[in-house]
Amino acid sequence: MDPRPVEQRELEALSRRERQRQLRGTFAGLAEIVVALVIGLFVGALVMDGAGYDWKLAYEGLLIGAFGDQWAIADTLASATPLILTGLVFGLSARAGYFNIGAQGQMIVGALAAVAVGAHVSAPPVMAVTLTFLAAALAGALWALPAALLKATRGVHEVISTIMFNWIAHYTALYMVFNVLNDPRSAERTVRVLPEARLGAIIPGADMTAAIFVAVGVALFMYWLLWHSPWGYEMRIAGLNPSALRYAGASPLWSVNLTFILAGIAAGIAGATQIIGRPPTYALYGDLSNVRNLGFDGIAVALIGRNHPLGIILAAIFIGAMGAGSRMMQIMAGVPLDMVRIVHGTVIIALAAPEVWSLLGKFLSRGRARREAASTAHSKTVQR
Amino acid sequence: MPDRSAPPAGAAGQYKPVSVLAGAPPWLEMRGITKVYPNGTRALENVDLRVAKGEIHGLLGENGAGKSTLMKILSGILPFTSGRILLGGREVSLRSTHDALAHGIGMVHQHFSLVPTFNALDNIILGRGASLASPDRAAARKRIQRLMEETGLHAPLDIPIEQLPVGTQQRIEILKTLDRNVDLLILDEPTAVLTPQETDQLFEVLNGLAARGTTIILITHKLREVLALTNAVTVLRSGRVVGSRLTEGATAQDLARMMVGTERLPEVKERRQHEKTEPVLRVAGLTVKGDGGQDAVKNVSFEINAGEIFAIAGVTGNGQSELIEALSGLRPIANGRAYLLGHSINGKGPRELYRMGLAHVPEDRHRLGMVAQFSVLENSILGVHHEPRFRRGLPGTLHWGKVRRYARDLVHRFQVVTPSLATPMRSLSGGNQQKLVVGRELAKSPSLIIAGQPTRGLDVGATAAIRDLLVDIRNEGKAVLLVSADLDEVLALADRVAVMYEGEILAILERHEFDRERIGLLMGGVHDGSAAG
Repeated sequence: MDPRPVEQRELEALSRRERQRQLRGTFAGLAEIVVALVIGLFVGALVMDGAGYDWKLAYEGLLIGAFGDQWAIADTLASATPLILTGLVFGLSARAGYFNIGAQGQMIVGALAAVAVGAHVSAPPVMAVTLTFLAAALAGALWALPAALLKATRGVHEVISTIMFNWIAHYTALYMVFNVLNDPRSAERTVRVLPEARLGAIIPGADMTAAIFVAVGVALFMYWLLWHSPWGYEMRIAGLNPSALRYAGASPLWSVNLTFILAGIAAGIAGATQIIGRPPTYALYGDLSNVRNLGFDGIAVALIGRNHPLGIILAAIFIGAMGAGSRMMQIMAGVPLDMVRIVHGTVIIALAAPEVWSLLGKFLSRGRARREAASTAHSKTVQR
Repeated sequence: MPDRSAPPAGAAGQYKPVSVLAGAPPWLEMRGITKVYPNGTRALENVDLRVAKGEIHGLLGENGAGKSTLMKILSGILPFTSGRILLGGREVSLRSTHDALAHGIGMVHQHFSLVPTFNALDNIILGRGASLASPDRAAARKRIQRLMEETGLHAPLDIPIEQLPVGTQQRIEILKTLDRNVDLLILDEPTAVLTPQETDQLFEVLNGLAARGTTIILITHKLREVLALTNAVTVLRSGRVVGSRLTEGATAQDLARMMVGTERLPEVKERRQHEKTEPVLRVAGLTVKGDGGQDAVKNVSFEINAGEIFAIAGVTGNGQSELIEALSGLRPIANGRAYLLGHSINGKGPRELYRMGLAHVPEDRHRLGMVAQFSVLENSILGVHHEPRFRRGLPGTLHWGKVRRYARDLVHRFQVVTPSLATPMRSLSGGNQQKLVVGRELAKSPSLIIAGQPTRGLDVGATAAIRDLLVDIRNEGKAVLLVSADLDEVLALADRVAVMYEGEILAILERHEFDRERIGLLMGGVHDGSAAG
């Protein structure tokens, strides 16, 4: 009795089905993005048209403002820089199975640390920049640690703890800007970092600095980590099936802590880019305007980029382009800034919606699986 | 402890069992029930069940015999493929639990459906589907208190469920069911979670209910309970009725024989004889806590030698899972010691145990043994992924080329049928998933391999392949700890069998002592003719 031919046929059918499914998956993914983009732009056009603005001219402005010339492109990339990093915070965490929305707070303390070190530690240029980035990374990691430990030891849900720490960071930053790091000559901001700790504009007249390379570098590192290192292998298992990770001899707890810390490092660096990599001020404003919302925008970036480091780079550039293009939208079509934001919002929601949906489903089904596992373990007999 | 062989209370005078077999008219009739699942599994084949009014009827069988399936059909949870259900002579249609309850049929499941933060009163009212805010709360309380008086099922009504012991929770669950005016009460393994004292109390209550005319069907695999409580018993095996008989005059041996069958031992692959050596695994007085904090494994001792398959038989849930988890480093050892090749394993995690020579094919392969979303490639190094042999020169980088070669070798050696190494594990058939898991573990070249339910749910071909692999490594001089609820598998493969019942090893039998009936009795908790526990 040789089952080989049957199995061979099954095997071929399987591989054919797999190829079809993969192809369908890729096509569906691309189609999803195109459809979402069209829906978002269409709704945005409807809104603008309804309010009496010329939507065609507005979109033309968006395009010119984002990609029209080298300065426009540089501005787009400058806006994308912190978003790549904050997007990685959420994306990496989601891969490891939890919902880290602490990028905002970790980024703020990173920015504070960058000011504190960059403005006070004098060193040769490359060294000063490196030191500032390191300090910001350390600060971000430390700020992420309490949430990790609370989760690991007390079971505190990371959404709660990271939100709390975001607000603590916010008000701490306000206090620091006006009381500790304040510039006596310019009361609305902190002292500026020393010239040797500043990253200069690559194209004079545009905001892009070498920080973009740091951000892309961190994204590439995360990619390597997740798919080419044993630690990333464990992190991905922790996100999909923590029990299997324990079985494999690793600790889900350790993976969670490592992920939190790496995410905190990315957030801290994001904060630093907004201090030493944003000419011409090189300081933190009292209204925190140079870090405002970047942490939360990172969530949208991660969702659009499907939590993949390389996808996140592209998504950050897209969101960055929306930001950079908004000025030309206002100038060319006279659309007010609030209207621009509404249009941005609709496009982002349309792009992120499918991922939000699947992420929600995943979290819900994991909760259900946990409950079922618990109740099964509780019973003595399992019967069919 | 009340004398359980005595007739039920309420049946004063000379005792005549209430049963169709004793001449009572049938009230519930299930005729020719067949259940085929969409995937082709035949769970029930032409099953007949006849129960008289006021009877306590036992439904006995091993794991997977179809007891729960049959009762889920009767309580409207599962649809059936063919057959008829008659109640009081009239055919009824039971498409939902609502239908069943409307006909007075209610089931108490193994997993209670109570809201842990609500008290008993709220839970019982909720069971009726009434709003908690409805003004008839006081009336409901009165009604439930009367029900408690009548049935002797006493439970505090105002304490949150989660603060009550399991036995009390079960009483509340029964009260909740009875409050729906149920006159056929189905209980699925009701004593599984109870202490002996709670079990006695439950039996008294059930006898009282039956005396008042409630019909009770008791799903169980415990022979003792059938003998103590029921009027008649129907035994199922592999989805078919083996027979129905009056409990009066039946012995545990009779029932065990019906439950496990009398087939001859299955043929085995040729086994090589080995010299007796130092034990590979020595377990001394091991106690392990279950998830609920109870002692799931109680003071268990045994040794496994090289070149031996040592099997643990028993009905699922008698501590086998906890024992495996403790020995593989996934669950702490509460008391006692275990030694692998002379080294203590207490406090060691899975990775250390792997280095000491342990491999583990987990019982729950979907949850522990693999990552379903990962590819075959990624799953092939689960547990050895940290080893330098899969690294590149660049510190810490996984060498996917080496992993691919390793995975290809596994797939080839253990004949895993997969379209490609990149195929997600979940797309493989259960048999091929298990072949990869077993292969991955054998490739660790362990001294001891723990195999939990290694062939559960697999087709005939894959089952045979896995069993051959286990005998092969035994013949290579490795030690195997096989935990299986499948008695045929245990008898076919094992050199020695330990039977576990309620966390204890009741007996360890040598191969020449293997005897279906004796093992069947032990699995039902009956030791040398006398009831244990």
